Formats: sequence, structure tokens, C-alpha cells
Amino acid sequence: MSPVAAFFHRNAWIVFTRNYLAWQKYAFSSIAINIVEPLAYFLALGFGLGSYLQLGAYGSLVQFIAPGMLGFMAVNTATFDASWGCFERRVFNGVYESMVTAPVDPLEIAAGEYLWQAFRAVLYGCLFLGVITALGLVHSWWALLCPLVLAISGLLFSIPALFISMIVKTQEHLFYYFSFVVTPMSMISGVFFPLDKLPHWLATIAWWTPLYHAVNIFRSLVLGRISSAMAVDVVWLMAAIAVLAYLPSHIVRKRLGN
Amino acid sequence: MRALSNVVVAENLTKRYGQLEAVRGISFAIKAGECFGFLGVNGAGKTTTMKMIYCRIARTSGTLDVLGLDAAKHAQAIKRRIGVVAQENALDPELTAFENLLLYASFFGIRGTAAREKVSELFELVSLTGKERARLTELSGGMKRRLVIARALVNDPEMLVLDEPTTGLDPQARLLVWEKLTRFRDSGLTLLLTTHYMEEAERLCNRIAIIDEGKILAEGSPQELIRRFAANDVLEIIGSASELPPPDRLDGLVARREQHGDVVYLYNADNRMLLHRLTELGYDPPRHVARRATLEDVFLNITGRELVE
Repeated sequence: MSPVAAFFHRNAWIVFTRNYLAWQKYAFSSIAINIVEPLAYFLALGFGLGSYLQLGAYGSLVQFIAPGMLGFMAVNTATFDASWGCFERRVFNGVYESMVTAPVDPLEIAAGEYLWQAFRAVLYGCLFLGVITALGLVHSWWALLCPLVLAISGLLFSIPALFISMIVKTQEHLFYYFSFVVTPMSMISGVFFPLDKLPHWLATIAWWTPLYHAVNIFRSLVLGRISSAMAVDVVWLMAAIAVLAYLPSHIVRKRLGN
Repeated sequence: MRALSNVVVAENLTKRYGQLEAVRGISFAIKAGECFGFLGVNGAGKTTTMKMIYCRIARTSGTLDVLGLDAAKHAQAIKRRIGVVAQENALDPELTAFENLLLYASFFGIRGTAAREKVSELFELVSLTGKERARLTELSGGMKRRLVIARALVNDPEMLVLDEPTTGLDPQARLLVWEKLTRFRDSGLTLLLTTHYMEEAERLCNRIAIIDEGKILAEGSPQELIRRFAANDVLEIIGSASELPPPDRLDGLVARREQHGDVVYLYNADNRMLLHRLTELGYDPPRHVARRATLEDVFLNITGRELVE
């Protein structure tokens, strides 16, 4: 079975359903936790720090950060649950261990987890989208495409996170990934400030991160600035999924397969 | 009467983890409708063997057919037709007891009303009715084990594979599991289990393979094994063998004598006759236990080690 074919198998959706069943038991607190933190960043930076700044052609800081936060949320919700959550499900709770005694392919479990992370990114992202719409920061009907981009981003970022969760020995080691990869990426990918004044080498690194492209798309949709340059970002994200999807195959089979 | 065809056949089966050879060339055949048990201490290779049978791990060499299918090639087809009670319960703590089974059933294509009915039936079968909505933290160890057994039956398996079904349970919970397993066995379901409780093996199994350090040392029905390797009775005398009358004076009553620690084991056909003869010889065993031989003695005699750790 290829990692792509696994998405289309019913078992992937049963894994998704399992996560939904577990999640809906504490949905309220889960939503609160996932929305409050990004909202705090957004309000503090956008309205607090932003009241001292003007970003020239980019307008106010709050307007700049609002769409960027959608990318920030997608990467954070997907990363956390696909690493910390999946580690727990695999190692402590035996969730996958029971699944593989049934006729379930390990790659179907992975695919189910990716789909679940896509759903979470859409759910939490849309709540945030509602907040910035209410604040008058959404300027185009193109923003209706944001859920689709949230899904793609959530799925994309869950792949390396699941991969990491499969290779670490203890849950604490996941913080290496959070601190050395996810947080720096969140800082330099154009979520909080434009990249024009970054040193060339740093801007180049930023260009190679998937978050940079996701943020570009969110900003274009929310501001209604649709251009052919967006096509590059879309192709970049899709290509990243296609390439990354194969990355965890080996380790997932090794951990959960025979 | 069921045909006595083989449901599991292993030839020269081995499993190596790096340098460690966990299973070292074992051969066995399990017949349909019987209860077959692997008896051995922890680390003997029981779980590794079971994991190969239920297609969780791949063998290193040899052949292994389960339900007529090569385990290396047809893992998913085999999983569809067997039930697995692994050593770890692997119950989902974020779901209720009922949801745990519903989810598992859906992997076998059993959904909706059919799944609900099936799972309710199984709850009744393992005496868990009323616990459907319970979270795992509300269930005792024995209840969890029965829930796992119910889960393994969700797909009406042709064989139930149980890796240490009662380890860690209190005596009452163990009896209840035994009662359920006995019922399944008597209804004709093929059972394959591992255990390090000789009482469990003796009660449940038609046939036993004694496994130690990755090898099968003996195989047969519990009665056969006891006859072959432990005579009939055992006289345990606390003390040293040197204090006993020499063997040639016991008229061949003692089939075998062993000293483990400060206990002398005299394997013999009839304790009463032996005690009588000892008294005749003027030897009055100070502290002794006269009992029938058990699989424990078989294990001790074959491996030179005790089963209980």
C-alpha cells in the first residue's frame, strides 16, 4: 500500500472517527485551549505592539498578523497533536497496538491521523477566522477558501510531526522538534512581520519553509490580492505533501507493521 | 464432529532480534478445536511465538502457516479470521468500554446496528452487561481482560490467540476468565494460549508444549507429560538427600530423585508405599509433603528450573 492510497481506505476514516470520538468528550476545553493562546498573541502583538508601528505598504501590524495567525495556528495545532498526541496514542494508550491486531495497515493509521489534523486545523482556524472577520480584518470573499488551505496546511504539518513522534524514545524529546524547528519557523515565515528587511540568507531559509507559503496564501485570500504568484505557493505546498508523505512510511511500518 | 485439520503449522520457526535468538527453531502443529498451550517462564519465547502467529512480527526463518495461509504473505487475511488477546490490553482509555468494541468491529466491516447488536451480545457473553458506558478507569483488571476477550471475538474468529490471559489477575477474576475460556473451548473454538501458570495449562489445555530458551522441550497432554516426566506422586522432604536411605534399598520405588535448594523430591508411583518402605527402613521423614505430581514437576525435571519466579 502506498501512503497516498492509504488516504482512500475506509480504515483511515475509522482512525479519524476514533480521534473524533475521543475529542468530542472534552471538545470545549480543547477548543478553548487551542484558540486562547493564538488569540493572546494576536491581541498583544497586533493591538499592543501594533499601536506603535506602521508597516508602510503593509498597513497596520494587526492587519498584517491577522491572516498570518491562520498559518501559525495550522502549524501549531497539527504539530502538537500529531507528535505529543500520537506518541501518547502509540506508546502509552496502546491505541495503534490494538488496531494492528485487526486487519489495519500501519499506513492507514498514519493517513487517519493526517486527516484528523487537517480537521483540527480547519476547526480552530475557522474560529479564529470568525474573530478577525468580526474585527473587520477580512476584506475579500476569497477568504472563503481559507478552510481549504487550513486543511492542506494541517495535513502537511502533521506529517513531519508524526514522523518525529515515531523516532523519539521519550515524549520529552519532542521539545527538540518544537524548539529547534517549529518555533523558529513560526518566527521567520512572515506570520508576525514582513521578510523584506531580513538578511538575504535568512529570507532564503524562510522561503524553503512550508509555513512561509501557507502564510502567503492566507494573506492573499484575506486581503483579496489574488495573483499568479500564489500559484507558486500552492504548488509548493502540494509538492511538499507529496514528498513528505513518503518520509514516515518506513518508520511507521517498522513501529506498527510486521 | 469437527475435522481434525491443522490450523497452525510451524516448521523450524525462528526469530532473531539482532544477536538475540528469541525463538530457536521450533516446530508444532495445532489442530482445529483443541486448546493448545505454550507453558514457560517469562523470556522463554512464548510471546514472540504468539506475535508471529498473529502476524504482529515477521519470522526470521522457517515456515509458519496459519489457517492454511503463509503468515509472511497473508497477514491481513489471517487477522481477519483470528481473534487476538495480546499480553497488553491495549484498550483505549479515551473511549468507553462499548466504544472500544464498536471501533474494533468497524475495522472488520461490522457497523451500525449490526455492530451494536454484536457488541451487546459479547458484553453479555463475558458478563460485562451494564458496563457499556464505563470508562476504563472504572473497570477492574479482570473486567478489562474480559473486555479484551470480547473484543477478540468481534469478528467470530476461527481461532482465539491468548497471550497470558490471566497474568496479574486475582484468583477470583482468574476463575471467571477460565470459566469463559472453558466454555469457548467446549463449544469447539480453537484456543491457543501461553501461560506460566501450570494450573491454567492443566485446566484448559488439551495439549501443551513446554518452551524454554526459545526451544520446545516436550509436548503432549498434561497427563501424558506428568506420566512421562514426573512419575505419579511426589514426596518432598526437607533436608539433604544424603540423609536418606541409599536408592538400592528402596526397591526401585523411586523413579527419580532431585535436590533443589533444601528440598529433596522423590518422584514415585505411590507415596503411601514409599512412606511405608521408608518407615520400615527406620527413616522417619522429619518434615515432608506427599502430593500428586503436577506440570510444575514436569517443568522442573525438564528444565531444571522452577516455573514460578
